[in-house]
Amino acid sequence: MLYRIKLYASPRAAPPLKDDHSLEALLKYFEAVKEKYLHMKPGEVRVKVDQAGHAKIDFIDFPSGTLSNTIDTNKPVSVQAGGATIKVFVGGRDDAFFNDLPGFFRSINYAPQFYHVPHTMTDVRELPIPKTLIELEGNKLFNFDPVNPKHGQGVKLDLPKGPLTWSGKSYHKDANGNYRFVYSGKDAQAGKNINAIILEIPLAFITQSPQNDRIVNAWGESWVLKASHKVATIPDDRRPFMSRLTGWFTGLFSSKTGFEEELGQYKLVDTDGQAFADAALNEREDERQIGGNNFWLAPHFVTRLAHLGWGFGPSITALGLRTSFDHDNSPISVHRTYDSPILAFPRAKKVIFQELNMPDNKWNKKGLNIPLRRSFEIFVPNVNYIDMDTTGTWPYGRRPEDQVATRFLSLFLDMEAEINGKKYNIDMLGDQSLWDKVKIEPKTPPNPLKNDKPFLKQFPYLAEPW
Amino acid sequence: MRFLKPILIAVTAIGLSFPLVSMTDRKPGAPTAYEAELSRIQKDISDLKDGASSAPSDMEKAARYVHRIYERALLTGSYADLHAAQAAIDRAIGESGPLADLYLLKANLDFRLHRLEKADRDVQALARFAGNSQIIALKAGIAFQQGGYEEAKKGYRLAIEKNSTWDNLARLAYWESKFGDIELADKLYGQAENEISAKEMRSYAWVELERGLLEFNRGRYQKAAAHYDQADKAYSGYWLADEHRAELLGAERKFDQAVALYGRVVGRAPRPEFQQALGDLFAFMGKPDQAKPWHDAALAGYLESTARGEVHYYHHLAGFYADSRQDGAEAVKWARKDIELRQNFLTQDALAWALYRNGQFAAALETIEKALASGVKDSHLFFHAAMIHLAAGRTGEGKRLLQALSEMNPGYENFHVHR
Repeated sequence: MLYRIKLYASPRAAPPLKDDHSLEALLKYFEAVKEKYLHMKPGEVRVKVDQAGHAKIDFIDFPSGTLSNTIDTNKPVSVQAGGATIKVFVGGRDDAFFNDLPGFFRSINYAPQFYHVPHTMTDVRELPIPKTLIELEGNKLFNFDPVNPKHGQGVKLDLPKGPLTWSGKSYHKDANGNYRFVYSGKDAQAGKNINAIILEIPLAFITQSPQNDRIVNAWGESWVLKASHKVATIPDDRRPFMSRLTGWFTGLFSSKTGFEEELGQYKLVDTDGQAFADAALNEREDERQIGGNNFWLAPHFVTRLAHLGWGFGPSITALGLRTSFDHDNSPISVHRTYDSPILAFPRAKKVIFQELNMPDNKWNKKGLNIPLRRSFEIFVPNVNYIDMDTTGTWPYGRRPEDQVATRFLSLFLDMEAEINGKKYNIDMLGDQSLWDKVKIEPKTPPNPLKNDKPFLKQFPYLAEPW
Repeated sequence: MRFLKPILIAVTAIGLSFPLVSMTDRKPGAPTAYEAELSRIQKDISDLKDGASSAPSDMEKAARYVHRIYERALLTGSYADLHAAQAAIDRAIGESGPLADLYLLKANLDFRLHRLEKADRDVQALARFAGNSQIIALKAGIAFQQGGYEEAKKGYRLAIEKNSTWDNLARLAYWESKFGDIELADKLYGQAENEISAKEMRSYAWVELERGLLEFNRGRYQKAAAHYDQADKAYSGYWLADEHRAELLGAERKFDQAVALYGRVVGRAPRPEFQQALGDLFAFMGKPDQAKPWHDAALAGYLESTARGEVHYYHHLAGFYADSRQDGAEAVKWARKDIELRQNFLTQDALAWALYRNGQFAAALETIEKALASGVKDSHLFFHAAMIHLAAGRTGEGKRLLQALSEMNPGYENFHVHR
């Protein structure tokens, strides 16, 4: 495997499309961002681990140049690079995600979480049932089953015969008139470990103008070695000496750098940029795992948000909250898909353009004039946008303790609305007191508020593995 | 340089294993790649069993168990293992119901064993997954076997559009190789290789063997050998690679080496078609006495299979009787059985050649014309067509076909097997 973390710093731009909230303007904006990203030259941190447990770490195309180090895995180390001290950790840690992933999958009727569906059968992933935050009456495929409480949380059943649809007209209510939440609030990743690459890098290593370039865009990629290049590395006594000599000589005059040559030996298999960009907006399709260059998905971003909105919007309304999605006061969630953004856009316009209120001003630690972010800025391009003048909390970066899954749902809340004299904000759905007042079971925020293991206050920040 | 307060830039959690695949050559005495993979599969099968001999009852485990049994069959090439896979699939479907995964395996197995009607029914049972690239490719494969070449090509292309996997690319490459665009076929195989990761070295080796075969079928033995070398290097100890190389050695008239290698292949993968190949090699060398026991063994294997009700050796039997035994009547009998199952250029060619061997030249001519009408450019087909035309008194067309054959494959008269 080969892992790349790409980093690109730039000044904070003035908020785009402040007054023009048209689809045409939005698509033009995406085009402009695309031009910018296609021409930028991000720095790259490249990591490969050998069988002896050493990690080769390359810092490529940074202002101070390119250099390589080899470090031990599973040990925080400091690397000197271009006069900077960079902290690096490569190895196993506690899984830092703390989401009720099965709950999210229940909300979007994602069959592979609940049923035996071959992963290659993409057409039977999200079933054509309205997405929703509260259970639909008679949605036997996905509703919580007290007889089989672990269904979807490790237990999978055969995909039933017959139509994989739903034809009800109302949300489910129990005998006490309570809705049933699709979420459980439990950490699906509790007690699990992951492999991690953790870097702490001075901004001045990434850009020569750290005073001006206050935004760092970051995304990661996983690459797997191609078979053809594994073969090339196997010593071959049969290959004539002259042939080997010719290969070496040709390599000397190749226009590609060693790093480019190396990358040609690998195949991109996954990308990580903005939280929830893949799971929620790209429908987890392999061909959409394209990281920062997700511009061709921009029209899809509009149609997908509208599709999600028809599901989540009415269920938010049913809970007595206000939604940013225009669902014509539909009393029930609707399964609707769009081929073109033209029809989808008016419905999702507010979801796309509204400013996402923060719970308080702590994020803006310097009190600068930093505008609130909007969903179209967050998801296109698919990068983690880190504002160095903030605390780096989502959507101004992403801190480990951020509950991004719940914050993602807040895109569908009407940020102009108020509750208890306070405007809706991105952490509102994580407030237990809100759920205490709603006729719903279980009375819990959708996702846990904390990780199963506390994060560390010092590098490498993620907790020790279990 | 003044550093600003550092910030945690990126925490990339990647749930993928760290250890890189081995970059070193195999040490003497170490297991070959084939042995290592077989051993892993055997261990998985053993671990997945509930008891010492019983299949797992848990559905998830049962599906994994069946997959591993099927993978073992593909790896060993043993029909006994294929039967075990079939039994495991049937049992799992009986116990767990028609899971899509299991039905897909069943469909593939039926297809592999020439049970096209069954494969078609299996695919119909997977109708709700009709848009899936694996189903599309399988349907295209069935269409190809039934002579629907354009439908097959369309299906392969659609499968690639849906999912550009190495196997879908290889399917289209095979199609192109049969219909004459060898360069395009090779390019497609090259693209297929580009999609194969270092964890799939056997798949890479398989594609290299196919590329080698493209060269072999054009008489370019050095280039074929280079691909076979690459296959061997990628995935050591693979009987399929040895089988291809044995054929090549025979074509190069390195008979001793070819015989020795075929002997090893037959020892490891005792399939009747390999026994026939070794017999054919002895016959080609002018040693009928040494050919006979291998031919006898091959025939016994073929007939045991048909006695079990299997149909996948009909084609081999037609060829065996036509070429190895020169028994036209028997050849026609088996070729007719084969063509009843699937009407395509291969079965039409086999029947025509059997009719020719039986002295029925007019019927042979009529049948071979159907095969030629497919547009397939295949040296076996052209050779048979030339002989049939000459025998039927159509000398001009016979000579033209021989000329085309020599341009297609100047080494056609050298040793080769019918695949």
